[in-house]
Amino acid sequence: MGVTVLQQFPMSENRTGPQTIEFLTKRVVALGAVQTGQFLVDCETYQSVPQLGSPKTVHVLHNSEQPASVFAVLESGTKVVPLIADGLFDLLMLKMTSIYTSKKQTKVEAKGPRFEIGDFCVKLGSVTMSQNFKGVLVEVEYRPCVIPGSSWELMREFLQGFLGSAVPNQAPQYLQNRMNEIYQPMDTIQQYLEHFGQYRKSTSVI
Amino acid sequence: MAYSVNISVEAPIENQIQEITYDGQEIYQAPLTLSENLAKIAQKIDFSKSNGDEVKKEPPEGGEKSEDDSKDPAPFQSSLWPWDSVRNKLRNALTEVCVLADVLSIVKEKKYMVLDPVPQEVPDVKPMVQVYARKKALSGAGQVLLFGAERLRNCQNELARSRATPDFHIELLRLRQNWRLKKVSNSIIGDLSYRTAGSKYTQTGMFEVTKAEEEEKVWSSPPASPNPNSSSSSNSTPSQSHTSSNSKVNPSALRVTIPSELQGVAYIEVLCQKDQEDLCSANISLLNGGTNSSNADMHWQQKLEAAQNVLFCKELFSQLAREAVHLRAPIPHMVVGNQIMATVLPGIQLIIGLCHSTGNDKKPSAPPPQKTEHDHVLEHSLHQLLREVHHKNTHHSFPHPSSGPIGPSKRRCLAGPNAADRYELLEMTKSQTLLEQIIQQAQHFFMRLRTEYVLDTIAKEVKDPLIVSHWNALNSPTQSCVKINILTHGYDTVCRTSLVVHVGEKSLKCVCRDGRVMHMSYEPQELRDLIFCQIYQHQITAVQALAKCMGWQFLANSSHLGLGAVEPLGNASSCILASPIGDRMIAVRCEPQTGVQVGIAHSPRKDFFPGQLVRERKWENLGGSFKEVRWDKMEGKNFLNKMELLMASLTSS
Repeated sequence: MGVTVLQQFPMSENRTGPQTIEFLTKRVVALGAVQTGQFLVDCETYQSVPQLGSPKTVHVLHNSEQPASVFAVLESGTKVVPLIADGLFDLLMLKMTSIYTSKKQTKVEAKGPRFEIGDFCVKLGSVTMSQNFKGVLVEVEYRPCVIPGSSWELMREFLQGFLGSAVPNQAPQYLQNRMNEIYQPMDTIQQYLEHFGQYRKSTSVI
Repeated sequence: MAYSVNISVEAPIENQIQEITYDGQEIYQAPLTLSENLAKIAQKIDFSKSNGDEVKKEPPEGGEKSEDDSKDPAPFQSSLWPWDSVRNKLRNALTEVCVLADVLSIVKEKKYMVLDPVPQEVPDVKPMVQVYARKKALSGAGQVLLFGAERLRNCQNELARSRATPDFHIELLRLRQNWRLKKVSNSIIGDLSYRTAGSKYTQTGMFEVTKAEEEEKVWSSPPASPNPNSSSSSNSTPSQSHTSSNSKVNPSALRVTIPSELQGVAYIEVLCQKDQEDLCSANISLLNGGTNSSNADMHWQQKLEAAQNVLFCKELFSQLAREAVHLRAPIPHMVVGNQIMATVLPGIQLIIGLCHSTGNDKKPSAPPPQKTEHDHVLEHSLHQLLREVHHKNTHHSFPHPSSGPIGPSKRRCLAGPNAADRYELLEMTKSQTLLEQIIQQAQHFFMRLRTEYVLDTIAKEVKDPLIVSHWNALNSPTQSCVKINILTHGYDTVCRTSLVVHVGEKSLKCVCRDGRVMHMSYEPQELRDLIFCQIYQHQITAVQALAKCMGWQFLANSSHLGLGAVEPLGNASSCILASPIGDRMIAVRCEPQTGVQVGIAHSPRKDFFPGQLVRERKWENLGGSFKEVRWDKMEGKNFLNKMELLMASLTSS
């Protein structure tokens, strides 16, 4: 468990999604990475029924890196409540269909190959929203360190090494607020949620 | 009737309660005074009855009776006061006595009245009838006495027998306290399996409890059998059998019948073989070997324990055999008949065998003579491992929340909420089988043995620096730790090299004093090489420490010298020392193979001969060539002592 940075890889006109993944895979493998299976992060959003008063949103996420856990983020007004639970939480959500209804069209997932290269773990995810391709998300985890502030520079260098100028010199906004805190699995989920939100808002491929 | 008991009922010596007040207080009647009591009791007397008795007693005086009767009714009707009836009775009595006195006085006169004796017929006595009657009466009395005596004797016998052979039901109660029993129609079935303790072994451990037959015991005892009457007369036999059986063994009223496959003695034999040579062996059994369950007279407790032991050994073996088949090992484990063979280390095999001798053999196969000493540790571990499995089967952690699934460990339950990643989850699923664990323990046993052997032989071989090894008393079955101190006798405060060796299952880890960590394989030669390198490094550091004490200067040091012949292990180490005034130098070279070489040099040589190259004496100050000291001719007990003497002699001269 280390620090994870999530980075969008901008799509170019002349490449499709799978081609972009292929392109990045070649680059990563050229660096000496070894593929270790696939990964999947999915997000389903539930909306509270109007009878419940002020509208609330629950995002339920799964990360294949933490296969026994279910992550949930509840947004009500200005408050955000994160929760990590075990697999039974999915069943609980099924029981609450009278209060929270899922919007099937907004189910987002990022899946793709997972690589290991030394202390880094690289995941190239193609984002799809209800079967429609939306873009490419690159996740890089530096496993030996848990403080984002101590590892950002190293990660930036590594990211720029194979993603090029798409990587900004500044850490992502989410990490900048927590540079000196211990990185938690929930932070990865929050980053995914932010990016998924952007993909949902945009109408085209980013 | 003989057991009838007198029961006396009497009123409590308490005053009668007059009333109970609302607060619960009881107000008693005042006790009767003596006179009141007398009056009360006197009132109870029914004089009419006693009158009647009087009448019967005096049948001849019929005339007077009529007089009494006529007077009687009056006083009862006019009972005005308590003593009225008494007065009347007394008055009547007085009248009667007066009349009687009158009659007697008239009779005395012998004029008006004569008393005639009433003639009585004497019944004719027949002597023979009397004799018969007496005989009959006597025989009746005798019968009663004999009957009583017989009952007493029976009772006595019963007591004596029950003391020797405990009652069946009491025995059953004792059995029930330690073993599981249940009643199935007419028989009592017990269960000696470990199923309630968490075992999942399929073989049942049923046994049947029956009442031991009395007759069998009687016939088996020699004194009772020859007498044909003994079986008919019930009171003589038990006493005889009791005395005879009491002399040999206390017979039990219970008989337990165990299935034939659980009879006999079983144990698990653990052998470690190295090139067909037994290194160690352990016999596993819950009981200490020698019990022989073929003996029918054995107490049921021992019999059941033996059977349970057989069941336990069988379960242990079947579990190990199953694991041996499923386990993937570089050299596959072999299961042949009642033996499992597993390779512990190259060339060393662990053989686990199940030995089961059924009691039916005439001579139960005696346990093979112990080739080496009994290994209690391996015995205990195997025993413990299966018990642990049993324990785990019955002791589940409770689900949290209570609606959650049962079974997963607490760590697994928390893995979700703690967001454990896939590595942690994979770690959780790993579990070791019994065979793996016992192989690991055997491996560790050999690693420890080898390490001990290496250290002991080095300590024996190398006398100059002393090698002291301390084994930690506390260790786990698969890990132990030894601390090695290298020091020179007499100079142990000057320099001491210590290192720690962790002995694992298949590898050694050595932590040196300077913090270096070295991993070694199971080959003992590696440890041996390491210790030798440490010994020679110790010598060099010890010389340096000694030089400081002696005031010598320490010029150069190299622990890995690139000069000289190539060493088969490690590198030579060396150092150069200069005397306090700087005119003498000592060079020491230590190498594991050839030992210690010491050379000395005089800086300005005392004698100077100018030559072609060196023309002036001043060049001699640069230092000259070293001459080797014949070290074996040096005085001194050990290397450091010799060095000290050498330095001292060079300083003084």
